[in-house]
Amino acid sequence: MDDTQELLQERLARLENGESLESCLTGLSEGEAELLRTALLLRNVDYPTRPASVVAAQRAKLLQIAKQKKPMPSNKRWMFPLAFSGAAALALIACLGLALAGLFWLRQTPGQVVANPHTALLAEVRGDVRVQQNGAWEKVKAGQAITAGQRLRTGGLSSATLIFYDQSRAHLGPNTELSVDRLDARTTGPRTIQLTQQTGETDHTVAHSGNPTSIYEVRTPSGSGVAKGTAFHVSVAASLLVRFNVDEGAVAVTNLNVTVIVIAGQTTTIPNGGVPGEPAFRISGEGEVLAIGETWNIAGQTFNTDANTLIIGNPQVGDWVAVEGHLLADGTRVADTIILLRRAPENKFVFTGKVDAIGDEVWVIADREVRVDELTTIDEGIEVGDAVEVIGGIAQDGTFWASAISLLDETGSPFEFTGVVEEIADLGWTISGIAIAIDDQTKIGEGIEVGEVVKVEGHIRDDGTWLAEEIKLAEEEDRAFEITGEVESIGPWRVAGTEFETEAATEIDDGLTVGDRVKVEGRILEDGRWVADEIRRLDQEDEHRFEFVGEVSSIDPWVVSGIALTVSEDAAIEEGIAVGDFVRVKGKILPDGTWVAEVITRLDNQAGCVEITTIVTRVGDGQAVLMDGQTITLSGGVQVEGEVKTAAVVRVRICIADDGTIVIVSITVIYQLETLPTATPTPEVTPTPTPAPTVTLAPTTSSEGDKATVCHKPNGKNPHTITISRSALGAHLAHGDTLGPCP
Amino acid sequence: MPDPSAGLIALAQHGDADALGALYDQHHEALFRYTWLKVGDRQLAEDLTGDVFARMLAALPRYRPMQATFRAWLYRIAHNLIVDHYRREGNHVSVPLQQAESQSGEAMTLHNTLEQKLAVEQLRAALESLEPTQREVVALRFLSGLSLQETAVVMGKTEAAIKALQHRGLSTLRLAFAKE
Repeated sequence: MDDTQELLQERLARLENGESLESCLTGLSEGEAELLRTALLLRNVDYPTRPASVVAAQRAKLLQIAKQKKPMPSNKRWMFPLAFSGAAALALIACLGLALAGLFWLRQTPGQVVANPHTALLAEVRGDVRVQQNGAWEKVKAGQAITAGQRLRTGGLSSATLIFYDQSRAHLGPNTELSVDRLDARTTGPRTIQLTQQTGETDHTVAHSGNPTSIYEVRTPSGSGVAKGTAFHVSVAASLLVRFNVDEGAVAVTNLNVTVIVIAGQTTTIPNGGVPGEPAFRISGEGEVLAIGETWNIAGQTFNTDANTLIIGNPQVGDWVAVEGHLLADGTRVADTIILLRRAPENKFVFTGKVDAIGDEVWVIADREVRVDELTTIDEGIEVGDAVEVIGGIAQDGTFWASAISLLDETGSPFEFTGVVEEIADLGWTISGIAIAIDDQTKIGEGIEVGEVVKVEGHIRDDGTWLAEEIKLAEEEDRAFEITGEVESIGPWRVAGTEFETEAATEIDDGLTVGDRVKVEGRILEDGRWVADEIRRLDQEDEHRFEFVGEVSSIDPWVVSGIALTVSEDAAIEEGIAVGDFVRVKGKILPDGTWVAEVITRLDNQAGCVEITTIVTRVGDGQAVLMDGQTITLSGGVQVEGEVKTAAVVRVRICIADDGTIVIVSITVIYQLETLPTATPTPEVTPTPTPAPTVTLAPTTSSEGDKATVCHKPNGKNPHTITISRSALGAHLAHGDTLGPCP
Repeated sequence: MPDPSAGLIALAQHGDADALGALYDQHHEALFRYTWLKVGDRQLAEDLTGDVFARMLAALPRYRPMQATFRAWLYRIAHNLIVDHYRREGNHVSVPLQQAESQSGEAMTLHNTLEQKLAVEQLRAALESLEPTQREVVALRFLSGLSLQETAVVMGKTEAAIKALQHRGLSTLRLAFAKE
């Protein structure tokens, strides 16, 4: 690092911290002093101010869009039980509604017109969506009307939304079956929407109805949920385990004549043949797995697992996962779902180069020895002199173990993606809208049928056709795509005849234009959209690239995982890297076999964060005691939003710092209960002709009365704050009142 | 150092309109300046500023404070939007240095301009003398007030690279001002 650059930054930092210019100039040469003055001058620009009317209009529009498209809570990510393609994929799915809001910036989205209260409009149809008619399953079209008595089914990577006359919505995730039993979504008088969800994942946004006898009910094989003016998620697993997650308002969940009221932020689970469990506050987050077993440690937090815990992707210690669970009354955290987001990055490598030698156990590629074994996948027909890509892991002793060696096709454009089979014909298939040619060399997995999700690999031929080399049923981790080809269009993006989207986080090489040859890597979302994560310009064909992660064993000269690196003068090397750190190295391999590092960055060793929703049971002396007995100090860098008082429902964010310590990052008050909720007995299986709702809120160690404050909304009008007996709380919530005083 | 916007972001992520409005209030002016300096057209900069906030709103549930400060994340969105804009347009809108010099009137020196405010036209003309990456660093560091770390996040580069770019950028600007 150039000393003058360090000196300039040191003086700039002092200037930014409020030191005077004179003080910061002390000891600088005239040239360096001029640079500091230049920086100061740049901060003294006479900008015209923005017109207040423009700012006000833009601000109002932003808030309007936010109001129309309220953010989907984090639990929506579990609509689609798959992962591996990355955290961003899950997060993107979770905020699909908001993404649409952004697309329609300055163009307000009109409400969908539904013909009458007895029909629902099918919208946002993606992938394989079918309706049962006359005993047969027929493909649906967007805009098709659905009436009572019809049943809908979505396939893998598919989804659809039912829009009712009163603008209530039911969104079906992939592999979901839902029937419409009764439908009268009138906007005046009693509304009746009754659905049965046989399996899968659905999200419901229920329009408020002022009529006290209105009903919006989702029945499942293991119970039902009734809601008014609320948002909630229903999951029916293959084991018929049913889960209701509530995001807004309250839902009365009933089975075997036992009803529990689930309020915003809570979840309840109904086992097959059982009664609804006591509602519990949800926990969500993502982080590094520190321990596995019956009890997991994720981002420093322990989670118990049980027979109902869904674990996807076989995560191991060191891997990065997303976790969603619930908090028991005694403070125990139980994981409902653990999904692998990405493998531990240590010691993975990928590079390209020419094959110098081929042996039974050792190959030499780009002058580097690479070990192969029976687990190594090697393309057929590779010979000495061929250009290949090698992927694998670096052992502790620095040995390169190849997991795959692939022949690089330097003339064709390889592709790889996962999609839904829409048509199968002798000469070609249609997969997610793309015509795929096959020939007698194409390997096709057995038993693949229309509607199934497959992974396709092949090459784009000179005439533009996509020729499949292999089509096989997709695994969970296959939901990604990779295309190599020429840029045909940039707005929208199209490469090798395929359109895809980009997002704010998409990494795009600077200066790309139509005609450039690029490699695109991305994800295929559950709704069928292709979203690029990276768009990279392909380098000269005679230049081979590498990228790997390893441990720094020396810095002068640079050696990482036993590989000697030449570091160019303009290499971007992150400051502060020390021997023993794990780093990611990117660069190129010269014809003489020299590995030239261009970028060396230290790996982020954050271990992750989780968010816990809970109730404050006591506050005093600058500390808050939570429902599980944990005490939090409300100072010293903890971000506190809202007034933390007894009976406040709060969301606590907990992270692991770089040094391994667990840190409370923030406490956000979600809403304030009038008093601490009192414990109620665990619901019992007591069949009664007319089930009385059992209000089950989180138990507490305090007994500050049996009253609750709600915002009472008689017929949906004139909301006003009232205090009621806690025994009446269930009935009030069920007819649309909300907890806490009116805003 | 904790992100000063952390509380507002958490509330905005849960649909709090006041928090969203406050985030807009905090950042719209500086963001507009950044886009204006980048595209050179006031109306376009207004539109792009609106687009940045719209995209921010769409992406807000994905925002992770661990990965970047909110400000760095917001400017990353702006940076990408502007790059997208240029790709769509297929050209780069800029005011040639000579033209800007004639707009800015008499030549200035570094010392006397410290006593007065620098006109936007003068600034844009001077920025044209920089390489694109230097210009980006200068705009983010000294015009928008981002920290070294935040600038590194926005540009996808290391802090060491940003230090080198800011040094070279200021050196080039110093010469540009001296020529004037």
